[in-house]
Amino acid sequence: MKNLWKKSLIATLTAGFLVTSAVTAAYAETLKFVSWQNDDGGTGDWWREAIAKFEAEHPGVNIEFTKVDRSSYADTMTTLFAGGQPPHIVHLASFEYQSFAENGWMENLDPWFAKEGIDMSNWAGQQICRWNEETACFMLLYFGFMMAYNTEILAAEGLEVPTNYEEYMNVVRATTKDLNGDGIIDQFGTAHETKGGAGQYLTEMLNYVLSAGAYWTDKEGNVTIDTPEMIEGLTRWKTIIDEGLTPIDMSAGDIRKLFADGKVAVRLDGPWLYGTMKKGAAFDKLAVAYPALTPPLGGSSNVLGMASEISDDEKALVWDFMKIVMSPEFQRKYATVAGNTPPSPAADVSGVEKSVPHFNILVQTQKDAATAGVDRIPKGLEVQYGEFGKMVQEEVQRMLIEDLNPADVVKVIQKRAVEIQDG
Amino acid sequence: MATIEQNLKPRRFDLARPSRQHLLGYILLAPAVILVALIIIYPLFISVDLSFQNVKLARIGSARKAFTLANYEKLFASPDFWLACWVTVKMVTAVTIGSLLVGVSTALLVNNKFRGRTLARLVMALPWAVPEIIAVVMFAWIFDSTFGLISWLIWKIGLTTELIAWVSTPGPAFWAITVTMIWKGFPFVSIMTLAGLQSIPDDFYAAAKVDGANALQRFRWITLPCLMPVLGVTLVLVMLWVFRDFSIIKTMTDGGPLKSTTTLSIMTYEQAFGFFKFGYASAVGVVTLIICVVASLAMLGRGSKAMY
Amino acid sequence: MNRTPLQSILLYGTVIFAATIILFPIFWLFNTALSTTVELTQLPPSFWPEEAQWQIFTKVWNDRPIPLWLWNSTITAVGSVILSMTVSVLAGYSLSRFSPRGSHGMGLFILTAKMLPATLLVIPLFAIFRSIGLIGSLWTLIIAHSTLIVPFTTWMLKGYFDTIPRELEQAAMVDGCSPLGAMFRVIMPVSMPGLAATALYSFVLSWADYAYARTFLVNSQGNWTANMGITTMRGEYVTDWNEIAAAAVFVAIPIMVIYLFLERYLVGGLTAGAEK
Repeated sequence: MKNLWKKSLIATLTAGFLVTSAVTAAYAETLKFVSWQNDDGGTGDWWREAIAKFEAEHPGVNIEFTKVDRSSYADTMTTLFAGGQPPHIVHLASFEYQSFAENGWMENLDPWFAKEGIDMSNWAGQQICRWNEETACFMLLYFGFMMAYNTEILAAEGLEVPTNYEEYMNVVRATTKDLNGDGIIDQFGTAHETKGGAGQYLTEMLNYVLSAGAYWTDKEGNVTIDTPEMIEGLTRWKTIIDEGLTPIDMSAGDIRKLFADGKVAVRLDGPWLYGTMKKGAAFDKLAVAYPALTPPLGGSSNVLGMASEISDDEKALVWDFMKIVMSPEFQRKYATVAGNTPPSPAADVSGVEKSVPHFNILVQTQKDAATAGVDRIPKGLEVQYGEFGKMVQEEVQRMLIEDLNPADVVKVIQKRAVEIQDG
Repeated sequence: MATIEQNLKPRRFDLARPSRQHLLGYILLAPAVILVALIIIYPLFISVDLSFQNVKLARIGSARKAFTLANYEKLFASPDFWLACWVTVKMVTAVTIGSLLVGVSTALLVNNKFRGRTLARLVMALPWAVPEIIAVVMFAWIFDSTFGLISWLIWKIGLTTELIAWVSTPGPAFWAITVTMIWKGFPFVSIMTLAGLQSIPDDFYAAAKVDGANALQRFRWITLPCLMPVLGVTLVLVMLWVFRDFSIIKTMTDGGPLKSTTTLSIMTYEQAFGFFKFGYASAVGVVTLIICVVASLAMLGRGSKAMY
Repeated sequence: MNRTPLQSILLYGTVIFAATIILFPIFWLFNTALSTTVELTQLPPSFWPEEAQWQIFTKVWNDRPIPLWLWNSTITAVGSVILSMTVSVLAGYSLSRFSPRGSHGMGLFILTAKMLPATLLVIPLFAIFRSIGLIGSLWTLIIAHSTLIVPFTTWMLKGYFDTIPRELEQAAMVDGCSPLGAMFRVIMPVSMPGLAATALYSFVLSWADYAYARTFLVNSQGNWTANMGITTMRGEYVTDWNEIAAAAVFVAIPIMVIYLFLERYLVGGLTAGAEK
């Protein structure tokens, strides 16, 4: 067997030798940067501007900006790291980086910040990037949700924009209807993703859970699911689904498109919804307001880091790129080009509302979410987030399919969450 | 006689000599074995190795951790594992039987001579030519719960009072995937069956007709037995395809709802890349491999000589 | 063949019915591509859009490097065919003619390549190819695809060679040919239909792969194959189903065309030797 392996290795080495020369890049140096945002309106363009500036300042170095779609992102990144070829510039969702940091794959940024005298203490959401006493990354987007609605649909029912949970439910119920009389609902009061990853499923649920005053864990990391508030939160979610107030089995992308094309009355979502709204068929009928469900959902979205196992030269180059991204100029562009709330306290966001009308609402919800300590990553369950999310999604789906009592369901979820946390 | 032959024997290494023929045989077989070994041996070794360690995120080349049976203990005690086994068995059975029925029937159908037969044979095998990813995209859309065609059709005909939620209801989710797989998988059975049918000599049928056998009897006593070897191998290949398949299920239902479409393959993926538990995932994978080998041997058992 | 009118009607009826059901998803693909997204999200579903949006094809063609993707898929498929045909012709011939001891076991071993879950293969293979420096190169794909293809094609060719009488090469060897020479000069020409069938099969298998492409080509956008390209069209925030359907049409058509041209070799090739 060993001989066979050796033989095969030699054979392939010879074969590979013949072509590798043809594959090497023409540049002296290439930094690899993998992301899922390449094609997104706004954020994609913002990244490209940052890359262009970097390449202008570093002739001979080029950044290879590759797209991997979000649904295969985690396993692709894992494969790259585990297989020994991580990207130099590491872009991850805020709930993904912890496992990589735990393995020592993320470069500690504290020395880098110290050397340049950069103070990150007022950087929104930066505390999420602390792991094992080190700073593994910096926050790219810390956001607050907004509530977008269709003015035409609301006007047709003579409804005002809702400002609290009861009004919200009124509006949603009144606007879910069958428009052409064929017996099937074709206009929905609200829309939530119910197909796809657990992360997004939990995010959609959190709108209602938070409005009932509940959360998965408390500030010390203890699981707080078996509580009356959580029962109310789950009941609110169950009501939305049971009464058919949202389309089911749709992914987040399809939901946003549905809203942008004018088939949904109200949609709670993050700043990125705006990019989709702009391309929708019903854009001129859409408006944004402060969320009716409070505290507004928000928190960390995605982070940027550096691979720890690259050469020192490459690290210096990556650091330069990071500095560009963190600079006040580009933080302001994050608002003007991408329509997001930049985390940097030094970003000048005056006048942005001219191009992004609802920008002040976003700034407000970001502040309120931060004050309320809201984040989608529960403290104490960061590393197990994948498993925890899947478990909650499963139990909630069971509750919906088998029509169980939320009071019983919270006990089951509590028990399983503690098990996951312990082992 | 012997003396003359010995004198005539060429000195150089002559592969034509019968005793050397075995060597030639091995040499010719070697590239295939090496190619496959390259892709199988190393990952298999790594997987088995990992399955005996308590490893979260794996890294090739990192130090080995302590040997432990914990992964396997957890595996056999886990209800999720047995559920995944059950789901896998159900799916394999459903898809194999479905592909068999549709595949053999279509092959029998186009084995007849009729105008447009070539066209019919083309159509019959078209799903096989369509890349799986594209087939999944199409079927995911057709089975969409809110706007998909099938839900609406079934509702319109009156079989249900509301639209079926394919992805979020356990039963329908399973069938949506099964139907997609059968559509994609039956052409392979068709083509193999057709090839097998065409190698059955017409004399057999002629002789049977003379003896007074009708169509059904001819099918049962001539067609089926002659097809057995081909069908046997074809079914094993279909079975392995379902066992291994991952992209169809992942894209359509992601193993849900309530794990009703989580096969062993999906479970392996979930543990590895969803929860970052590589040691445990490797254990699941190794067990899957063993099940596959056993099942294949069982199915091919009598006919395994016929295969290679 | 004598057939009553009733039998004819039944036969043609069944064929048409079956063909419709089989082709339906492909038709639906076209329908989806040509509809607007607003039309797609309404019920009852339209069986043909009010205004067929043919421009979606030009839009997708311009927005995405579809020709590049198709080119990469083609190169990979051709390479895989060459590699796997070479390997499996030798192996199939060996199994057919020599039946060396242990060939039975080796045959089964080749089959086990299809039994290990892809998830577990991914990282070790990535590590292997990375250490050779082939990650991102289409060569990796060619090798990987060949390992998927060889188990099938070896078996197919073995069965095919079995139907060719040994007398043919024995006659050649009596005339002074070496065994290998006999194989190349006598058996190969006779086996053309079988070889064509196997080559077609290999091509389709390679074209259809997605899992390996996804793993090995992540960082090399210039080398993406068609299937990979399509899946990256799903954005994080939104997915345009009509665009994906249009791209899918571009990707599916070449393979269907090739298949249409070469299909008659497929079944014929598998059985030509058997016709007495």
